Amino acid sequence: MVATVLRLKYATVRHQLAREWWRALLLIGGAVWSLSLVPAVFWASHRLLDETPDVRADILVVVAAICIGGWITVPLLVTGLEDTLDPGRFATFGVSARQIAPGLIVAGFLTVPALFFAGVFVVLAARLEGGRGRGRCRGARRGGADAHGDGSRRTGRGGVGGACGQRSPRPWRPAARDRTGRGGAGLGGVARAARRHRLRAPVRGPSGHGVARAHADRRGHGGGRGRGVRAVVVGDVAAGAHGWHCRRAGAGVARLDRACARAPGTSGRRQAPGADAVLAGAGDGSGRVPLLSWWTADAPTRAIRSRLLVSWGTDARYLVAASGVVALPVIFFAIAMPILGLDTRWAFVAPVMLAASIGWGRHNDVAYDHTALWLDLVSGRLGRQIMVGRAQATLVWAAPACVLAACGILAWSGRWAAAPGLLGATLGTLGATLGVASVASVLLPYRAPAPGENPFGAEVGSLGASLGSQLLSSAATLLVLPFVTVPLVLALTVHTGWGWVALVTGLGLGATLLWGGTRLAGALYDARSGRLLARVA
Amino acid sequence: MTDAPTGPPRAIALSLRGLTKRFGATLAVDRVDLDIPTHSFYGVVGPNGAGKTTTLSMATGLLQPDAGHALIHGVDMWRDPAAAKAMVGVLPDGLHSFDRLTGGELISYAGLMRGLPRETVRERRDDLLAALDLDAAGSTLVTDYSAGMTKKIGLACALVHAPRVLVLDEPFEAVDPVSAGAIRRILQEFVASGGTVVMSSHVMALVERLCDHVAVVGHGRILAAGTLDEVRGGEDLEARFVGLVGDIEDQRDLTWLRQS
Repeated sequence: MVATVLRLKYATVRHQLAREWWRALLLIGGAVWSLSLVPAVFWASHRLLDETPDVRADILVVVAAICIGGWITVPLLVTGLEDTLDPGRFATFGVSARQIAPGLIVAGFLTVPALFFAGVFVVLAARLEGGRGRGRCRGARRGGADAHGDGSRRTGRGGVGGACGQRSPRPWRPAARDRTGRGGAGLGGVARAARRHRLRAPVRGPSGHGVARAHADRRGHGGGRGRGVRAVVVGDVAAGAHGWHCRRAGAGVARLDRACARAPGTSGRRQAPGADAVLAGAGDGSGRVPLLSWWTADAPTRAIRSRLLVSWGTDARYLVAASGVVALPVIFFAIAMPILGLDTRWAFVAPVMLAASIGWGRHNDVAYDHTALWLDLVSGRLGRQIMVGRAQATLVWAAPACVLAACGILAWSGRWAAAPGLLGATLGTLGATLGVASVASVLLPYRAPAPGENPFGAEVGSLGASLGSQLLSSAATLLVLPFVTVPLVLALTVHTGWGWVALVTGLGLGATLLWGGTRLAGALYDARSGRLLARVA
Repeated sequence: MTDAPTGPPRAIALSLRGLTKRFGATLAVDRVDLDIPTHSFYGVVGPNGAGKTTTLSMATGLLQPDAGHALIHGVDMWRDPAAAKAMVGVLPDGLHSFDRLTGGELISYAGLMRGLPRETVRERRDDLLAALDLDAAGSTLVTDYSAGMTKKIGLACALVHAPRVLVLDEPFEAVDPVSAGAIRRILQEFVASGGTVVMSSHVMALVERLCDHVAVVGHGRILAAGTLDEVRGGEDLEARFVGLVGDIEDQRDLTWLRQS
């Protein structure tokens, strides 16, 4: 079976190279990139010998874990990065997961980067083995008796395998279980929070168009079922059932919400007949306040907003996106700041980062609807309404989240005088990045996983397009960010009075860029409507 | 089968002129010219890969043609899409819908996107759910629908704004006989009331039974078009179809498949 899978992989690669010659450039680029790292490997091995054995082993374990995770495990777990490694493609051949897993793992290993890093670890292990005594002596010199003793004990098991084996002793398991459990519970908590939010808020816009979605039955039944699914997934991972089970865990997240959304039995009924979130969320457009006309827009805009709010509350892809945006600010605030010993004012970057992450993350928003985009396209020339409705649905949860994050940082730092500046910069960043992302999502769409599929997956052939799109939208985001953040920097470094300038410029520029971005994106949507479906479907 | 039309020539509901589409080296649709009269039930038949779906996608605003025009009651789909799309209802094949909505919500969504007032949408939604035997499933998520139910809810979305022209790609695929009967009745009444239905299908018997006009598409071109009798030329439609597009050349006998 291993040979069959390998033959399949290389036959596919051969055909791909024959059909899409530019893929060879990626292969060559990978090889050149690997070669360019060779001097760095020797430099790293030299530097490692200067470290104590304990530190050396720690570094080796971390780097090995990252590389194994990155180059061997991730392509197996994230479908689409490497389509020959997608177990789903073997589903109709009548072979079990257990049968093909060895072949897929070997195939995952036989790639340019994986082989390169295997070589790297062989070199490093050999150097470490050779320099064991040296490290021990230096350890003794530097750290005294304790370091020496610890170093002697650990270096006795040199090499990658030894280091890895040494780093997974029994005491780690409960900790890993706890962390995994916390992670799972965290994701579950986000899902639950989003679901609770959906029960009340998402279908009730500020315009007062309340929607009485009867979800009580779902909370009673589907919720329990969802917890069961989640418990199985988290339990598997925590118990060390990685590999094939991990592959399914991703898909499990995708199915999680569907399981939650289903009512008792298999009927899938989830709400009382007659309840219609789209119709109720659409409102009647009466009683408009001129200043809020952007929000209380026409029926198609409100219909799009209502539909997208359903997605934000129920679709695993959106839930994953919503929960993923906190990663960068949390890493910065909780890890980078203490390690680098940064001043408390640096914490003000975190809410801005959150806003930028949310906005930037919408750069492929339109493609998320690729399975049903046709319904919007055949409905008329509605580009502006579609893009405004999409942005509004994101703002419903993103604006409060950003304000909350900003207030949290203000409370933590005690610098309430900087509140206007931080709020202005954060909301300005959100508006500006959403505006940029609206344009990018129409101009540079790439294939996204369909609803119900693994939200972490990438579609076959979308890798290059996604990289290009992400690079360009990142560049555009970096271009507009200074306009809304510089006054905040001045408020923190020159005079607090700049905070009020930041509030005005942030809100003004944010709103302008959001308005302009969605208008431009709408015009592009109409102009490209005959090509969008072919591009993303 | 609907009776073939008689009398003076009717106005044209859908007119395709020089419609062309190329995907890389493949010429999917090659300068297609076709006139579909109003008040007709028009069948478009052709083998797999003939260009039927591509042609209908270009006619309905889903795919931009490389060249040519698609006119809906005289309005160019690609020059004035808002006006042209308002007159068309579309049911594509192989494309999903927003499956996180319930059936009722999806119809409402389609109606609101077409600019209908809420009350009208509510009325039509309930009518369509009942007419298509979906009222019991109106509060079920579309993702939980069977293939036939998905087809019916797609048809409901295409009908909700009362279009003048309906373009349906394989509307009866995966639909059970009872539901197919209901759909047939709705479509026949629609044509009888002055509407136009354009339907692609692989099932010749269905086309013969329902349509009064037919076009045979092959290799991206129109091989024959006209009233059903004109195209058949006294033959069975299936025989005529095979004669036009050609039969499989190598009809090899799979003797190894025989059980005894």
